[in-house]
Amino acid sequence: MKKEITFTLNKEKTIMEVDPQWTLLHLLREVLEMTGTKEGCGYGECGACTVIIDGEAVNSCLYPVMEVEGRSVMTIEGVALKDGSLDPIQQAFVDEGAVQCGFCIPGMIMSSKALLDKKDKPTEEEIKESIEGNLCRCTGYVKIVDAIKSVAGGR
Amino acid sequence: MGDLKVIGKRIPKKDAPLKTTGAAVYIQDMKVPGMLYGRILYSKYPHAKIVKIDTSKAEALPGVKVVLTGADVPNNFKFGFIKDNPPLKTGKVLSTRDEVAAVAAISPEIAEEALDLINIEYEELPGIFDPLEAMKEGAAMVHEEFKSNVLKMPWKFVAGDVEAAKKASAFIAEDTFSTQWVTHCCLGTSGCIASLDINNNLTMYSNTQIPSLAQNDFLEALKVFGFKNKRVRVIQCVIGGGFGSKLDTYAYEYIAILLALKARKPVKIVFSREDEFLATSPRQCTITKISQGCDKDGRLTFREMEMILDNGAYTSWGATTPSVMMVPISSLYKVPNIFYRAKCVYTNNTYSQAFRGYGNPQATFAIESNLDQLAEKAGIDPLEIRRINANEPGEVTPQNFKITSCGMKECIDEVVNRLDWKNKSGKHNGRGVGMASLIHVGGAARVYKSDGCGTIIKVDDNGKVDVITGSSEIGQGSETIISQIVAEVLGMSIDDINVINNDTDVCPWDVGAHASRTTFVAGNSALGAAQKIKTQIMEIAAKNLGESPEALEMKDGIIFSVKDKEKNISLGKVLRKVHYTLGGRMLVAEHFYDPPNENFDQNFKGNLSVAYAYGAHGVEVEVDKETGQVKILNYIAAHDVGKALNPMLLEGQIYGGGLMGIGYALGEKMIWDKGYLKNGTFLDYKMPTVQDAPPVQAVIVETDEQAGPFGAKGIGEPGLVPTAPAIANAIYDAVGVRIKDLPITPEKVLAALKEKEKGNP
Amino acid sequence: MKGYEYHKPSTVKEAIDLMGSLENAKFIAGGTDVMVLIRQKKLSPAHLISLRNISDLSFMETANGFFIGGGVTHSEIVGNEFIQKHYSALSDAAGNIGSKQIRNVATLCGNICNAAPSADSACPLLVLDAKVLIAGPDKEREIALDDFFLGPNRTALEKGEMVKGFHMPPFNENTGSTYIKHTRRAAMDLPILGIAARVTIKIGGSQIGCKDAFCTIDTISNILKHLEGEDLVCEDVRIAMGVVSPKPIRAKKAEAALLGKVVSEKLFEEIAEIAASEAQPRDSIRGEAWYRRDMIKVLTKRALLKSIDRVIRPDDLIHPDRLW
Repeated sequence: MKKEITFTLNKEKTIMEVDPQWTLLHLLREVLEMTGTKEGCGYGECGACTVIIDGEAVNSCLYPVMEVEGRSVMTIEGVALKDGSLDPIQQAFVDEGAVQCGFCIPGMIMSSKALLDKKDKPTEEEIKESIEGNLCRCTGYVKIVDAIKSVAGGR
Repeated sequence: MGDLKVIGKRIPKKDAPLKTTGAAVYIQDMKVPGMLYGRILYSKYPHAKIVKIDTSKAEALPGVKVVLTGADVPNNFKFGFIKDNPPLKTGKVLSTRDEVAAVAAISPEIAEEALDLINIEYEELPGIFDPLEAMKEGAAMVHEEFKSNVLKMPWKFVAGDVEAAKKASAFIAEDTFSTQWVTHCCLGTSGCIASLDINNNLTMYSNTQIPSLAQNDFLEALKVFGFKNKRVRVIQCVIGGGFGSKLDTYAYEYIAILLALKARKPVKIVFSREDEFLATSPRQCTITKISQGCDKDGRLTFREMEMILDNGAYTSWGATTPSVMMVPISSLYKVPNIFYRAKCVYTNNTYSQAFRGYGNPQATFAIESNLDQLAEKAGIDPLEIRRINANEPGEVTPQNFKITSCGMKECIDEVVNRLDWKNKSGKHNGRGVGMASLIHVGGAARVYKSDGCGTIIKVDDNGKVDVITGSSEIGQGSETIISQIVAEVLGMSIDDINVINNDTDVCPWDVGAHASRTTFVAGNSALGAAQKIKTQIMEIAAKNLGESPEALEMKDGIIFSVKDKEKNISLGKVLRKVHYTLGGRMLVAEHFYDPPNENFDQNFKGNLSVAYAYGAHGVEVEVDKETGQVKILNYIAAHDVGKALNPMLLEGQIYGGGLMGIGYALGEKMIWDKGYLKNGTFLDYKMPTVQDAPPVQAVIVETDEQAGPFGAKGIGEPGLVPTAPAIANAIYDAVGVRIKDLPITPEKVLAALKEKEKGNP
Repeated sequence: MKGYEYHKPSTVKEAIDLMGSLENAKFIAGGTDVMVLIRQKKLSPAHLISLRNISDLSFMETANGFFIGGGVTHSEIVGNEFIQKHYSALSDAAGNIGSKQIRNVATLCGNICNAAPSADSACPLLVLDAKVLIAGPDKEREIALDDFFLGPNRTALEKGEMVKGFHMPPFNENTGSTYIKHTRRAAMDLPILGIAARVTIKIGGSQIGCKDAFCTIDTISNILKHLEGEDLVCEDVRIAMGVVSPKPIRAKKAEAALLGKVVSEKLFEEIAEIAASEAQPRDSIRGEAWYRRDMIKVLTKRALLKSIDRVIRPDDLIHPDRLW
């Protein structure tokens, strides 16, 4: 039986009819067709589906859609500015060569953005901690960490 | 080469903005109107007779459109390297990844539910899971129709006289090494959408690394299915990682086609992560017996290797990896006498495929570990034995590889200096250093009849350039590199260059993204096309400006006289001049580059690649003697890349390959227990996280390869080739135990330390 | 598709009433285990009762020791300096569970109520003498955590009951505690073995308590050598082990053998041997039994040393070593 939920999605008030057994990821990808958020495993083990809820990075594949009620969700689609210009963290990923196949990147950006929104100048340890749940097979993580550092230093 | 404007610069990947905003469309994200969702049911047992399949309940489930079993596969169709693999199995299953039934339904959830409703009665049979068992006299046959479990493949290479060289050697080291099953772990899982038009022409949305060959495979399949003279179009979505996993066509693709044919609707099959672990084809496990010898001065006298490869139940490109294993076996260091033989053995395990390095990591693990053993016997510093025997430019190796550029010694020196080798090696105090070198194909690899790639360049009315290439972007950055090459030739900004690389209806032929060949081959192809279009542009501009073409230059979309810059014309104008005129023409150029390399002859001799990539890795480790844990303190990866066309992207390949190699060395292993995969999750398959990534220095050594585009050689695979032996050698230097079986787990290190304490070698 | 109803009570009583009235209902907190089990079809509840919106579960307070509500997340635990300082072992564990994303939603009660032998927070709570506050349809009760675990995925919770929180007693200032999680990977991993220790030492000599005295000494082993003859006596001790038996257990014989003794590294080695003898580790894909047993010896010693280190050099923030 469908339920109505109201929440904020990328700064916009959103009202949706949802099935209680959906995950937030299902709502985003399959219903809203916001496919920037990826599913890499479905078990919270890879971080590709990371979104920010009320300021915290979470795995949307494990997040019951009913819990979204009243909360504020930010997805990768909400990170860049409306005019298409990139957020500094996105720009840093581009400029530092942190992107290869790119499948992990939306999750990486959401995880690091959750950190950077809280801390202007995080330590390297905090940077690594913020993305330790985001698997990447292409980059060896080096340039991803560099990209986050470059924003952390430049803010 | 003059003053380079775009080549050699740290230019961001062209597709990075798309990927950082979530706008890139992967197969997972793709929808086609009216499409159904396919799911595959895999075998419950590694080896069993299929007694009965009852699909009636699944068919009755509302929303289910098609249910297929092996009986529905027309004309006994089989696919794979030697066509031994039916997309849906009948009669018998040979592994737990065997496809036994498939469903297409209106939602993924219904398709999934339908799988649970398919009843299959099996009669379990004993399986063979160890290649050594499978090779024994009287062993049961995995494929009854073949007379042997050993594949009929000619993997043998002989040069010189190993037996005589053994007798003449001052020192010989002999040992056995083994490696494990590891899998690609592409973050984006496998998937496709098969869509047929009313005339049964197929459009396949795919994330293949080999669009041209896949097109051919699907054409052949359609033919067997009874549809002759059809067209196949392969469209690649953005690819979420390749690493060799998408170098073949797979059962799921043929199943999608069969489901689509029956449903008369497009069918999408995308793997779950469980499917991806179970049903993609990993790097096979190997057992290698090796011995190498040297004279009293440390010069290598011979190398003898016998390898056994677990092929698994069916045959894909995994069975051909010995052809690339031969590269280091015959040609890593100067070794005059070589004996090599490999056997690929059928078992009831998963079947193996290509994986970055294509057999080279397994071979190099044995060679470079054993070389340290030999150095110790000979009383020579492991560094010195490598220097003494290092490859050099101008060399012709026993396999007839013609070595052109070679920076192996420079790479070794980089490692030595950056690790502070002299002060750190030989201390045996819990910390140690180790190194290993590599050779790999760096100028393509002629494994098919053609090793070529085509490029078409057209200039549009506004002076922008479309580059239509056969090569595939799988994350490595080929789109950007090709743009840079064309931009450099034409004196343009890479933003004005648009690369089209994902549609076989449009793109020229290419053999695929493999063998570290794309920069070299597709780059040379793009270079040739760019030069041709430049000639045309200059000729037309010359006419318009009343100059000779030689007197002109092109920069930022303007063609001007070198002597008088006021005499100029924009590229767009040149084009409009040829378009908007009576008897007009297009401004288009094409170039097909097929490198002048050779197929192996029947003795496996031939210059496989136009150029060879070299490198050396060095590592400093600390071993916790109480827990057996190995910590990497410093990692140097030095690579001879010819010329770095884009150092930033190139470092990305080295870092990524390096960590993949570190995972291979220290943690990753698919645990197949009697045919069942026990750790098919990211939780239990220990792919490295960011917290596992040690400090790595990527060192670029440039040697200017004459045959390469602007001097470049390939770098896609080398990053993980020497990683495991470098680490194994460092562990030996640290604590005096040699781990010969990958991965080097804390258990193995600790057990070896205990044995050593007891006085056992 | 059979779905489930999703309920979001806002009080503990409401949650318990729902559990009492609904068939095939399951509590869900952070959901990082429940959602996985549902996806794996290992669990197919008709109702999920969410504990995420109950404010009574999501607070922490200092109250004759420290109370942690069942709905407190691991991230909240890691971020709490009081816990870091006085209940370090729990901080150690919470900081290394899963990933940042997991810790942001996964709760302490979820980790404990799963009763997995590998539950990271179990060992720390055991050595910190935690009591489990249980709310039921009729009454609340409090039991020792040691009595809470019955076996793999089995707890002392009765039908309709839920965990409200955990209470840990205060410990005197000469107490240090540690949890060491032994893993293959440095993040996103379950332990091959988990060892927690808490030690309270009685301090005789004058040097101790002045960490400056030890600032030039690198390791705790060397400090202990330096302090030989100072009669550092173990006044109280707990040792707990995870993944070595069907449930997280205390190494009670080892504790008894250490109590009242003058501590030394050598003694810790003997204690660790005893601890290993109390375990029944098994072979699994995650680790071999012999290795687990060996590691009990190594890590028990290290956990004891680290705990004492935290008494002697309390200002040093200690992070578990990240190794392969």
